[in-house]
Amino acid sequence: MKPQKLRKIEYLTIAMVLIAFFFSASDRAIAQENEEVAYRLKWLFNVSVVGDLWADVHGNFGDQRLEVTVKAGGPERDAIKELELGRAQFGVASADQVIRAVSKGAPIVVLAQLFQTNPLHWIYRPDKSPFKSPPDFKGKTVGITYGGNDETIMRALLAKYNIKEDELNLFSVRYDYTPFYQGKVDFWPLYINAQAPIIGAKLKKAGEQYSFVSPADFGIRFVANSVVTSREMLEKRPDTVKRFITALLQGWREALDPANKEKAIKTVLQFNKETPEAIVRQQLPVTRKLMMPTADFAFGKIDVAAWKQTEEIMLFQKLIPKSVQVENLLKPVYEK
Amino acid sequence: MLHRRIYQFFIIYFLGLAVLMVIKYSLSLSDYVIPSPVEVWLTSRQFFPVYFVAVLNTLSVAILGHILSIFLATTVGIIGRLTIWVGSFIRVAAYNIQAYPIVAVAPIIFILLGDGLSSRLLIAAMICYFPLLLSFIGVFSEPVAEIEHFFESTLKMTWWLQVKIRAFENISKLITVIVGSATLAMVGTIVAEFIAADAGIGYSIRIALFQSDLAKILVALFLIGVCTSLYLVLLEWIGHMIQKRWEIPKGG
Repeated sequence: MKPQKLRKIEYLTIAMVLIAFFFSASDRAIAQENEEVAYRLKWLFNVSVVGDLWADVHGNFGDQRLEVTVKAGGPERDAIKELELGRAQFGVASADQVIRAVSKGAPIVVLAQLFQTNPLHWIYRPDKSPFKSPPDFKGKTVGITYGGNDETIMRALLAKYNIKEDELNLFSVRYDYTPFYQGKVDFWPLYINAQAPIIGAKLKKAGEQYSFVSPADFGIRFVANSVVTSREMLEKRPDTVKRFITALLQGWREALDPANKEKAIKTVLQFNKETPEAIVRQQLPVTRKLMMPTADFAFGKIDVAAWKQTEEIMLFQKLIPKSVQVENLLKPVYEK
Repeated sequence: MLHRRIYQFFIIYFLGLAVLMVIKYSLSLSDYVIPSPVEVWLTSRQFFPVYFVAVLNTLSVAILGHILSIFLATTVGIIGRLTIWVGSFIRVAAYNIQAYPIVAVAPIIFILLGDGLSSRLLIAAMICYFPLLLSFIGVFSEPVAEIEHFFESTLKMTWWLQVKIRAFENISKLITVIVGSATLAMVGTIVAEFIAADAGIGYSIRIALFQSDLAKILVALFLIGVCTSLYLVLLEWIGHMIQKRWEIPKGG
């Protein structure tokens, strides 16, 4: 081979090595810059997770040098278990899940509270089953999911108003709304932000009136979804926790800002193609109201009194054997 | 036979439990993720009577569903043997219906039949029916040429005799399929209860899942295993008795 040709090959090889080195170094720099964490949601991608999706899609996590894998939740997925198993670093869990887990020794803490009012309501037909206060449940058929938190909430409501179980009929409910449509059940539990627009549309089409019972209106403040992490994560990686919660809360604020309505709807539809846009349009303002009761509300604020009440309800119903000192679990990082 | 199957189940169950405990203590997991042996024991003491009744409830529905599907499979299998076209049509229909996941079909069943016994029974029967049907069609449509030829040439062949010959020649195969489908009947009933019912062990497991209570689920699994083993032993014993009765006496 000619020396000139050999030199060419040498130059080419050096150039390739340099290019490879440059790319691997820049990859490493990006990896070092963006810390990878996983975030397990409580439910499937729908309007209730609009802020979580927003933070991912619109760069809030990236701004905080985080590479977050947002994982959909579901009935068989438990964020708290995933935190312990190290499959996720952050998650969303309901207050009763958190309290139950802590009472069994799960080392977790609560960083922020997403819903300020529990979205769980009961739908009813005011013309057929008029309702002003819980004593109106007497003699009626009320749906509950045995073992679900709607059972806990309904029992708390009944206990508060001294209504005995034999004064009404409790009906075991599931995903099929037929017994309610047929009028066999007077009050049916649903999530007012996600399911009510769908069920309401069907009732409206059938020319029926409907309204909702909110347990919060009658003094039952049972906390719903909150952001959790492990105690170890908070102690060993406080900066990551702070950056995560800062990005997440910022994402939620932006998603719930009425000025960003169209972008928020688009974000939900990007991940949830099964729900019609018209329904998402109805779901978004209801969700906003449950999470941001007033326009200047500090999103993510932990309602300590509501957490204490949730624990008291669970103690009263013997769902936990003893107090977990719930105030010790609440670590609102965003306030620092 | 009984004690062997029961202790074999105990070995499997307690090995599984031991693996869970090894994972729990090696990874220092809380009782929320995997319950401690003490918690499992306390839960079993507290819930054994309730869960035992629930498992018996499930088992009774499973047995009914199983019997129903055996009758149906026998009837359809006999009809299916009439012509090649009918047999192949039933087979294609069975394959297609079996391909639908029961969780997708179940809501339709519950809307039509409600969440009482009939829905649980139907789902249990559906899950164990198709494997039975396919085997039964195979058995009843397969001629036993060397025996059937004799009766056909003497013009003494009737449809009933043909069914008896084919069943007799394949009795061990039929018994194996029936015993095997018993577990499917149990699974079908539990799935039905899990999806939508207000009784049975599947319903109890659903509640335990809502409460993230693995200890309750472990107790339920233990009872399901014991009861299923007992049912399988009973079926094997019945099969053994039938085979013994149908056995050709030695020397002709």
